[in-house]
Amino acid sequence: MASKATAQPLSLKIASGAFLAFWCVLAAFPIAWIAVMSVKSPRDAFAASAWDVITGPVTRDSGNGLSFIDIALGLTFLFFAVRWAFTRLPRMVEQFSPPGFIVLGWLVGSAVYGILFVLIFFGVLPSVFGALNSIAGPLGTPILGLTTEHYVAVWAENQFYRNFMNSMIVTAGVVTISLTVGTLAGYGLARSGSNLAFWLLILALVFRALPHSVLVAGYLPWFINSAEILRPIFGDLSPTLYGQPWAVIAVLVSINQPFTIWMLRSFFQNIPSELDEAARVDGCSHFQAFRRVIMPVMWPGVITTGLFSFLLGYNDFLVTALLLDAQNQTMVPAIAGYFNRETTTTDQVEAVAAAVSITAPLFLLVMVFQRQIVSGLTAGAVKG
Amino acid sequence: MKFKTFFWFVAPSVFMMLLFIAAPLVSVFIQSFQITQPVMQQIEVETCTPGFLTQTCTTEIKTVPVIDGETGRTQTTTAWVGLQSYKNVLQMDKFWAAIGSGNWGDILQIDFWKALRFTLMYTLVTLPLVVGVGLMIALAVNNAAKVLRGPVIFVSLLPFIITPVIGALSIYWLFVGDGILTAMLERWLDRDIAMFAQAWTIELLIYFYRVWHVAPFAFVIFYAGLQTVNMDTLESAIIDGANRFERLRYVIVPHLMPLIIFIALIHLMDCYRAFDEIIGFRSEAYVTSLQWLTFDFLTPDDAGNRAISRAAASAMLTMIGIVFLLILPLRRTWRDHKGGAH
Amino acid sequence: MYLKKLALAGAVSLLGTTAFAACSYENEVPLKSLTAGFEAWKAVTDAMAECGNFQAELDQEFRTKQPAAFEANPSLYQIGGVSNGTITPLLNAGTIRPLDDLVAKYGQNLSPNQLIRVDGKIMAVAMMVNTQHLMYRSDILADLGIDTPTTWDEVFAAADKIKEAGVVDHAIGATMKSGWNLAQEFVNMYPGFGGAFFNDDNTAAVNSDAGMKALAAMKKTLDYTDPEVLVSDSTYVQQQFQQGKIAMANLWASRAGAMDDENESQVVGKVSMAAAPMAMDGGAPATTLWWDGIVIAANITDEEADAAFRLAMEGLDTEMVQGANEAAIWLVNGYQPGPLAEGAIATATANPAPPAYPSTTQMGLLHTALGNELPAFLTGDRDAAATLAAVEEAYTTSAKEAGVLQ
Repeated sequence: MASKATAQPLSLKIASGAFLAFWCVLAAFPIAWIAVMSVKSPRDAFAASAWDVITGPVTRDSGNGLSFIDIALGLTFLFFAVRWAFTRLPRMVEQFSPPGFIVLGWLVGSAVYGILFVLIFFGVLPSVFGALNSIAGPLGTPILGLTTEHYVAVWAENQFYRNFMNSMIVTAGVVTISLTVGTLAGYGLARSGSNLAFWLLILALVFRALPHSVLVAGYLPWFINSAEILRPIFGDLSPTLYGQPWAVIAVLVSINQPFTIWMLRSFFQNIPSELDEAARVDGCSHFQAFRRVIMPVMWPGVITTGLFSFLLGYNDFLVTALLLDAQNQTMVPAIAGYFNRETTTTDQVEAVAAAVSITAPLFLLVMVFQRQIVSGLTAGAVKG
Repeated sequence: MKFKTFFWFVAPSVFMMLLFIAAPLVSVFIQSFQITQPVMQQIEVETCTPGFLTQTCTTEIKTVPVIDGETGRTQTTTAWVGLQSYKNVLQMDKFWAAIGSGNWGDILQIDFWKALRFTLMYTLVTLPLVVGVGLMIALAVNNAAKVLRGPVIFVSLLPFIITPVIGALSIYWLFVGDGILTAMLERWLDRDIAMFAQAWTIELLIYFYRVWHVAPFAFVIFYAGLQTVNMDTLESAIIDGANRFERLRYVIVPHLMPLIIFIALIHLMDCYRAFDEIIGFRSEAYVTSLQWLTFDFLTPDDAGNRAISRAAASAMLTMIGIVFLLILPLRRTWRDHKGGAH
Repeated sequence: MYLKKLALAGAVSLLGTTAFAACSYENEVPLKSLTAGFEAWKAVTDAMAECGNFQAELDQEFRTKQPAAFEANPSLYQIGGVSNGTITPLLNAGTIRPLDDLVAKYGQNLSPNQLIRVDGKIMAVAMMVNTQHLMYRSDILADLGIDTPTTWDEVFAAADKIKEAGVVDHAIGATMKSGWNLAQEFVNMYPGFGGAFFNDDNTAAVNSDAGMKALAAMKKTLDYTDPEVLVSDSTYVQQQFQQGKIAMANLWASRAGAMDDENESQVVGKVSMAAAPMAMDGGAPATTLWWDGIVIAANITDEEADAAFRLAMEGLDTEMVQGANEAAIWLVNGYQPGPLAEGAIATATANPAPPAYPSTTQMGLLHTALGNELPAFLTGDRDAAATLAAVEEAYTTSAKEAGVLQ
């Protein structure tokens, strides 16, 4: 690749680099901006001047400020923390997780990392900095307004952790069931050349294109009255589906099936069918061949598909807003609730803080699985 | 693979899709030809409502549904009305009147056609942009130094993974009222700007949001594709004297073609049912989409009325549209299927 | 430090859910409620939660869920929060129960004014009234020597002066977000000009002289408002007030408290309240009166209904009002109207008084039709007469579908 002919002229390199830098700013700016808004008092957060939003004079005057020392040391800590996440964390996870449970290891590893980060950054550092500031003189006076009160309000007073738990339950359910059901179907479809398989795929595609609002509104009366409808069959055990996380999981899995089986089918098509045919010659049934031969090599594709399922379950708004009650509500409809009801400006900034909080797990997820996404896609999940 | 084995492999997946997608779809299809209404009666009702300190009572004739004594539910009648609901949605009489009188613009006063215009334009305008921007980022990242790639890919993926409602809102805040970017534009152009006061600026913002949100998806898939470009072909192209652009045009793009079609397919489907951005940008007054129209028919008003039949009809019309859009890319899949892949 | 705060907040919230200190009895029957989510409901459901065994659902989707959830058997919720708009589907379907015997048993604290009677039977207990009325920057009007406007003509005259003086970005703020809010502006203005919404045969009557006048007045407002007015809802107008960007607005009484919130507002103490302006001399203020209150489901056992009503009365007691005096214009005993309530009270006691928002099926349909068709007029795509005709046509289509019209 490094031959003379492929070496690039400087102008092209600069142009490509500049474009990339521009794109990165564009990609990160709106998200970074709401993160800035979330740590200001309501008056600063919605101030007209960008400078006021960044420096937060009102927030600072009310006693929540950062000094030069805080900022310098905080950024240093942040830099090393992020670097550590990219370099040492993957190695540690690989070292400590038992073979075969690498995914689980990652989940535990990233959760521990997240908790440690929050503890140190919001727990230990502020008191250390406070001590430093008191002896530092002019460098120790606050210059930047910053408050975590909205995060405290959201997570502690409004009990946002409940929504977080519900989100985790729904998302975990969606990912596991989607992948189990989808892997089987994807494999079956990839190995069957029949017309039925083809039409099933086309049908799935049409299902994928359906507007969700039509489906979801159709569910509501059935879900609410399910206890009455199912009584002749199940007797008094018949459940009210409305408000049940597992019912929502079933709906989301179904909505997600078309995409999952398409992804996995193309992935399985790129695993040479000689592999399982050889196993079948040795006397395995299709299921055994699937389990012994295919399962060990399918993980890159499954992880990539799983990430898309995760995004769908985690980000869904339409289904969860309509079919879950307050006790089982997930995070996205809970946040939308802050905006849609009659709100105050404080509510809105709290909603912004909640919105930033729910992107944090997505951050971690992408950090951890970034390489798997690319390698999974490269391995063929998108050739079809 | 024997049919029986095949059946057991796909059964769980197919069952779920039939139960939660196909069954509602069939019921929507039937509803689009029916109208179910409560049996109404007119009765005189005295209603007392509070003022401050004293009550006011009014007696008026009200139209209310009849309640069945036995079941305790409202009596309803269901009638087959053929294509009436479709007519109500399409409003063809107004459509032809507008064409007849030469005032083509009047067509866009009709909700359905207005939504269709936007949805189609939205889908077709953003498609090349998403593919183009995605490809450009992929090439640029592929070009970047190895150390930078990790962080750059991470930042690039952010707009795609962020919850759509929140992504749309974060852009909305930057521009609404004297949002900081609007204020910046105002200072730069030295004039008063209101981004949400006319249709075309809102539409531009929505296009921008879409490209911002989906281009990373295209990027990561193209980037994965670029890792498998055949080096031999590329080198022989260089020996043949192909310049950079020609190599892109004749080697890389054909290699990525299946991926481009994949992106196009996904994009067509997702864009065509645009909904989150209408809510996020609060653009209902100026710009609406087909799914929003269906949603709006289904949203009950204070009195609990919903236009279920019209919603069903508009959903069916949306479906027909998407099938048309998908036929082209799908012809290739059919050929592939016939060509083997056993 | 932060950790301590966090731990403390967590402990407090835990205490809040288990302590029954403020409740006079302990509730034994598991109960659930479905209400809207604004401040007043938060205060009421918090007070009810103190008695234990109670789950409150404050949901912005309550409009969608309530009719279906109350129709289920047994009803998914025992207690419902409604307004005079949203009680209609429950009344029509007969899914809420008459409360006369329960009021006799537990309602000693209620004033007769709170009892919503339909055909002589008590169907709901109101807790607060709400209305849109004039809020204005008293400092600006005083500086410019303008008297408090009482009619819309005076509002426009005042707006001219404010605009000329250039003291704020926009003289008037308006809740004209397309859809429900925008339609509500018309519903305020139209009766103000003496218009009636329906003919006797349920056909719409808005395509009239009063309709044209109402539209003209709405269009005139646009000269003074933010050009982005078609995306501005009450929260947005409230923020514009708080940031000192507007000088006058016809805004919901429930929003008044936010003007004096030191954490959010830059205009604390500078916003005053007055009656909603009249559309024409000698008419009623151009607004509608609303109430919010509590209903009890029909499809539940009598024991549950008994417990639910008793709990609701605990939520609507004097103690709750004293804790949240500024959250609403309460109808509950013990409410002390402050200066922020002046506008709402002046509006409600005006003579002739503004009408209550009509709770009928037809009104729901017309409201939707207005919300969908009016934007085209305000953006200039369609003239007033064509718009009113389009409103009537849209109403006719949906009314036929709903069975109201033959």
